[in-house]
Amino acid sequence: MPSIDDVTNTPDELTDDDAEALLEDADLVQDMTGEVCPYPQVEAKKGLQKLEAGELLVQETDHVPCTENVPRAVGDDAEAQVWRSGDATYRIYLRKQA
Amino acid sequence: MVATLLVAAVVGLALGAFLQKGRFCFVNAFRDFFAYKDSRVTKGVLAATFLTMIFWGIAYQFGYYQGFWTPNWGLTGLVGGFIFGVGMTYAGGCASGTLYRAGEGYLQFWLTLLFMGVGYAGFTVAFPTLERTYFEPLTFGEGVSLFTVTSVPAGLVGLAVAGAGLLVYATLVGRSSTGAAFGERADVAQFTPSTLSAPVVGLRGFAHGTTAYVRGLVRAWRHPIDASKQPWDPRTAALGITAAAAVLWFTQVSIVGVTGPEARWTGYLLSQVGVDAGAFEYWGSILFQGQGVGVTVDMVMIAFVIVGAFLAALWSGDFALRVPKRRRLPNAVVGGLMMGAGSRLAPGCNIGNIYSGIAELSVHSFIASIGIVAGVYVMTHWIYREVGCAI
Repeated sequence: MPSIDDVTNTPDELTDDDAEALLEDADLVQDMTGEVCPYPQVEAKKGLQKLEAGELLVQETDHVPCTENVPRAVGDDAEAQVWRSGDATYRIYLRKQA
Repeated sequence: MVATLLVAAVVGLALGAFLQKGRFCFVNAFRDFFAYKDSRVTKGVLAATFLTMIFWGIAYQFGYYQGFWTPNWGLTGLVGGFIFGVGMTYAGGCASGTLYRAGEGYLQFWLTLLFMGVGYAGFTVAFPTLERTYFEPLTFGEGVSLFTVTSVPAGLVGLAVAGAGLLVYATLVGRSSTGAAFGERADVAQFTPSTLSAPVVGLRGFAHGTTAYVRGLVRAWRHPIDASKQPWDPRTAALGITAAAAVLWFTQVSIVGVTGPEARWTGYLLSQVGVDAGAFEYWGSILFQGQGVGVTVDMVMIAFVIVGAFLAALWSGDFALRVPKRRRLPNAVVGGLMMGAGSRLAPGCNIGNIYSGIAELSVHSFIASIGIVAGVYVMTHWIYREVGCAI
């Protein structure tokens, strides 16, 4: 059966203001700049294992594919949102699900 | 000559741009499929390979082609492919992925390219010994493309193999989705009747997915500027790569390879700093085929891939000089060396073997592709050892 994932494959994008506000709210921030796949995926999974449901993990990255690969890698474990600076840096917001 | 160089520039720029926009990476395609069953890029790779196969079959049948690349087959494909597969997974980018990321400004992948060069050079020095101790005992037969040995028209062979590939894919997808339907939705009154066989379910899913994709493409065309800056579906990249590589390059020049031209670049650059590259058997008589060490048209094309990726990244706001973390340096050094050496030992990289080689139905490339994918599988499990893989 075709799933919704076949149609939409990018996570929601955050506005600049929301991205700033949420970053202050983060329970764990991982600096992934200078990293390449698949290490951010692996670190995101490890980071989420440390968090409780409802807590927020933020990854800062400059690796373009991560904005899609990291949300995919954590799957149903977290709800993902992405912020693009427009200047080749990105943040991935992962809220751990119950 | 000027016309050929122009074709090289156009094809290189197009390939670079499509690779960058589609994040078309063979490591991603297989690694993420093994790690967490993400098949987006895998679909793109399959689409590109099968579309190219059909086009090359037809082009061959009617004589619009310049030549196939069919190395002798044997266990070298398995050994070299495996080394290359492990290397590219560790490095974080395949032969083509390394090129487009170099264009995006990753110093990490320039370092990978440098050490691939060291791998090519090391292989070249060791080649006379390897020829006797490795290639001769492990090579079993003359290289051949299945297009050339059947009496069936090549266009039909291409269509048939691509169709069979689609059917296998549909069966696998269909089987896993009917399984999931039973497992997860047993409480829902109307679920898939068990009489509906897996291939039908899979093909229906394929048709549905393709329709949704085309609709998305049409929607994107309404805002071409905005859409051009967003990341593209890997299937869009597949279509673009097929047009550039399959149609233009194949009819005008050859099949597409990456590491072969890179190994030539290594020889050429070394010859510019005083090394007599032509005196080495591998560079002189094999890679440059006794024509003298110089810049060949496929070397120009590969260089333009980096330029194309750079322009696409700049346009999308994805370009930046990215300095790697120090702990990632072994990935570039060791991964690059293994890619350089592995691609020569096979011979061929992911583009030469998985994309071009399967599309031209070369026996060697089927074997080498198995080796490459096996290498990715093993290395993915090692990298994910702490969090686990799905497959």
